[in-house]
Amino acid sequence: MNSNDLIMLLKASGYSITLSVGAITGGTILATLLVLLAFSPSRILQFIYRVCMWVIRGTPWLVIAMLVFLSLHGMSIRIGRYYAGWLALSICFSSLFAEVIRGAIIAIPETVFDSTKSLALPRLIVLRKVLIPLVLRQGLPPYINVCVMTVKGSSILSVIGVWELTYASREIIERNLTVFQTLFAAAAIYFVICFILDRLGRNLETRLAARGFAHDLAEGKQND
Amino acid sequence: MTDWIGKYYLIEYIQACGWAAVLAVAATLGGVVWAGALFFFTTVFGRIGRVAVAAYVQIFRNTPVLLPIYLVYFGFPMIGIVWPAAVCGCFAITLQQGAYVSEIFRGSYKSIDRNLYDAAQSIGLSGWQIFSKITVPQVIVYSLPSLGSQVVLILKDTSLLSAITVAELMMQAKRTQEATGAIYWPFLMAAAMYLFLTLFIDYFFARAQKAVRWR
Repeated sequence: MNSNDLIMLLKASGYSITLSVGAITGGTILATLLVLLAFSPSRILQFIYRVCMWVIRGTPWLVIAMLVFLSLHGMSIRIGRYYAGWLALSICFSSLFAEVIRGAIIAIPETVFDSTKSLALPRLIVLRKVLIPLVLRQGLPPYINVCVMTVKGSSILSVIGVWELTYASREIIERNLTVFQTLFAAAAIYFVICFILDRLGRNLETRLAARGFAHDLAEGKQND
Repeated sequence: MTDWIGKYYLIEYIQACGWAAVLAVAATLGGVVWAGALFFFTTVFGRIGRVAVAAYVQIFRNTPVLLPIYLVYFGFPMIGIVWPAAVCGCFAITLQQGAYVSEIFRGSYKSIDRNLYDAAQSIGLSGWQIFSKITVPQVIVYSLPSLGSQVVLILKDTSLLSAITVAELMMQAKRTQEATGAIYWPFLMAAAMYLFLTLFIDYFFARAQKAVRWR
């Protein structure tokens, strides 16, 4: 492995990061829509949510990605490998993000909503000033975990031909058989990305906790 | 009837499903044993063991599972160890999942009531007896729920072994697609079989949880 290969790996890691950032954004948007299903009054929509969760949880990401690729092809939508891979990753991780958001909403004690009612707050203000801040604070640690999983999950796209870090390292290995150096370099890049993400998450968490509310919420739950 | 089975490659699919199940079971057993060993290091070797295991866990938690798979499959022959692809894959998944499962064990160990250890010491149990009679059974009981979802993840990881030519469900789907030219059903069938295996895992762990609760 020479310096050219290293530059190639770094370039490929740029693609990996772009894919995962896109998938995190797309997955979060999809997850928000799915969570709307989960909290809708209709039983049928709730059932649809549960089926979606079960199917996405029980099917390997590779199979989902393959099905997304094939469906796009079948509908003769040609958007290129990167967008198709982005869509596949978004769908794969939407279930995890949805469960995180749902868990954060469930963790809010009922009394919070009672007090918003007793203050006669309008629904929009409840959403903006109560629900969203609470969900952000409660859901942040598992959300960061799923983000790390997304970065790692972007590597599966290499199996179906999306050129990113894992694909590039396999390419280098096949060219000059430097298995250990190449894989350790790739692992180091993944490690740095995930570790920085994890640290950023911790940092954000402590900063949000310092503003006070998450801690109070935890205490309130104990009193119930 | 036989025509139908032949048309949809049903028997090959069932074989591939069996292989996926075997791989998942092997990787789970390996992962649990390796995680148990890691957990044992942390409890026995004190600070050094804790730091070493924590570093191991951090490294494997922050890298994708495909890298150890490639490392074992492409790397081991270079240092003179030639294993079949399935063994390589299982070994790689074992290494990775050992890190996750040892985290589960650690969490369960923390939730054991500390008074039990005082009680054990007061009736004069030895260190090994405390480990085998108090720590291990309770860790198993506490970690069963999270272990269940981890096994589902292991099953999903085995689909990645198709990248190193292991003939499991994903590989079967690819092969069927190439043979028939059909677009959807080879992969939909694989997805259905994975879902069936997931159902089975969920059922197994629900039963296991009930069984330990009863004691």
